[in-house]
Amino acid sequence: MQTHADEGGPDVADPTAYTTDVRTLDSRVRWLWIGRALIIGAFVGGIATAVAFGVDRSYLWAGPLVGGLVAALGVIHSILLYRTWSYEVRADSLFLDRGVITRVQTVVPYVRVQHIDTSRGPIERAVGLSTLVVYTAGSRGADVTVPGLTPPEADDLQTRLKLLAIESEGEDAV
Amino acid sequence: MQLDPLSIPYRAVERGLQAVIGIAIAGIAGAGSVGGLEGLAVFAVIVVVGIVLSVGWQVAYYRRFEYQFTEDTFDIDSGVLSRRAREIPYGRIQNVDIRQNVIQRVLGIAEVRLETAGGGETEAQLRYVSRDDAEYVQEEVSRRKRGGAGEGDAVEGVVEESETQLFELTHRELVILGVVSMDLRLLSILAIPLSFVGPSVLADFAPEGVTVVLIVAGLLALVVASAIFSGLLSMARYYGFVLLDRAEEYRYERGLFQRFSGSIPKDKVQTITLTENVIARRLGYASLTIETAGYAGSNQGNGSSSQSAIPVAERERVVSLAHRIEYFEGLEFERPPKRARERYAVRYTLVVAFLVAVAYGVVRFTELSFPWYALAAGLLLVPVAAHLKWLNRGYRLEDDHVVTRNGFWSRRITIVPSYRIQTVVTSETIFQRRRNLATLVVDTAGAYSLLGDDAKAVDVDADVADALREDLAEDLQDAIVEYRHQRDRDATVRAEHVTDG
Repeated sequence: MQTHADEGGPDVADPTAYTTDVRTLDSRVRWLWIGRALIIGAFVGGIATAVAFGVDRSYLWAGPLVGGLVAALGVIHSILLYRTWSYEVRADSLFLDRGVITRVQTVVPYVRVQHIDTSRGPIERAVGLSTLVVYTAGSRGADVTVPGLTPPEADDLQTRLKLLAIESEGEDAV
Repeated sequence: MQLDPLSIPYRAVERGLQAVIGIAIAGIAGAGSVGGLEGLAVFAVIVVVGIVLSVGWQVAYYRRFEYQFTEDTFDIDSGVLSRRAREIPYGRIQNVDIRQNVIQRVLGIAEVRLETAGGGETEAQLRYVSRDDAEYVQEEVSRRKRGGAGEGDAVEGVVEESETQLFELTHRELVILGVVSMDLRLLSILAIPLSFVGPSVLADFAPEGVTVVLIVAGLLALVVASAIFSGLLSMARYYGFVLLDRAEEYRYERGLFQRFSGSIPKDKVQTITLTENVIARRLGYASLTIETAGYAGSNQGNGSSSQSAIPVAERERVVSLAHRIEYFEGLEFERPPKRARERYAVRYTLVVAFLVAVAYGVVRFTELSFPWYALAAGLLLVPVAAHLKWLNRGYRLEDDHVVTRNGFWSRRITIVPSYRIQTVVTSETIFQRRRNLATLVVDTAGAYSLLGDDAKAVDVDADVADALREDLAEDLQDAIVEYRHQRDRDATVRAEHVTDG
């Protein structure tokens, strides 16, 4: 293995140059999540209606009610989730904080970053948003996902993380 | 180098057994459409053609399979129709395992598996080489791994072939292993057929009135049998277990019927786990496993068995060996705050309430009649269970390690070197937030993590968890700086040594 003995030399850039403050997601991501909640609500409502239709038609009203409840909960969850979501590019690590029912805070040290993806699904493209996924060798790699970024934001974040990951010169921990 | 020629008949038979059904079906179909003596001839022809094709394929596989050691990589060229050339850098190899089942032992052939951290399956398999070649591959990979790191051996004054025996499983320990590893997982497998056969057998043979006694006795016998059987299984699995310490790696061998030998490079150790279940704790015994990043997906079937460093030994001995592998300072733990116990009490109370409700439902809506409220006596156990759960939890933060402890029935102590931390996560469910508690998860690349058994400090104070999270992230940075210094020092020493020599 080649050594990097010349650390701390003059060519080492200041990692703080890439860091950010605590940032929140783009507010349009709410609409994405709300839309998803409505679709799930409609789906559940449809199934519930079909079941009610098959079992006892006098309870047919229960189907849309269940669907509506699920959709309403989903919408509330989406709004709250948007409010709780924040991320911060720190000097040594990426910090994520999110979650409504279970609040999860994740620290991803740059030395552990294996690779970084940005992805844009068809609906995300329609809304004009991107998702950033950071992979580590750990088992929770898939957990490190930052949704609801505008494409320039996502590119910016990807570049920052990439530079910081290179800067930190990760050793193989595996 | 090539596979062992005996692998041709072995593989042909092995594959043949799988293919035989297909051949037979094709043969029967062919025979059926013609019928009579001619049909039989057609059947025979199809079977013979099938066998010839199968053997021919294996001969081709054997001739087209080649492996060799190059300067930096272990190369495998294989494939009959679609060729595959694979180069595995020595530094990336996590484990080298040799397996031999009974038949393979008679034939003197063995399977070699090379594990790397990437991918969901074993990186490369040599099926099958002679026993000597298998050992040669294992030796050579570890030698070349060391070679890649320079003349490290000479510097440390370690002779190349030096090895110390760290542990050997005695007969006494083997018996204890059988006792502590008894479990009832087999019960479900046995119970399914029995639930079909049992009732009718009972109805036919059992005299009136004895049935209940018979059922109870039968169930008891079943429980005992499956417990004993599972104990015997793990005795056979770990028969003749030996753990060796060789220059840069640990080596182990085990197995009564299926011989197994594996290598664990020291610099690939992710976490170590000390497991002691209720029985083992009572007897003062414990077991130790070493996790590496290999075995990603391949080993989930039989859990962590193949990475066992010590199947079972007296606790003190296990702790001192664990100490030798990872130099952690001690095993005194911080317990979660006492209010965590309330959570468990509430949880168990709900379980008991649910059971009582189910029992009531059964009495209310079926013919059965029994004092359903008697189950409420389970409430008496709730405080005890909650206390025990709390008592066995704990965490410990050291300069270079974080240690966690969980579980009453099977207590697991996980030791994570700071240097191996991948990500650190804290989470608080709504129930935890009510009591201002949080769970801290330390993720590593070890195989256990993939099964969801990360090192976890469960139900610690939320502020403590936040502080721990940041401390651990910092410890990782420190550990990496330390590692680089160490490596640079080693490099300098090595360079000096080379110029001296």
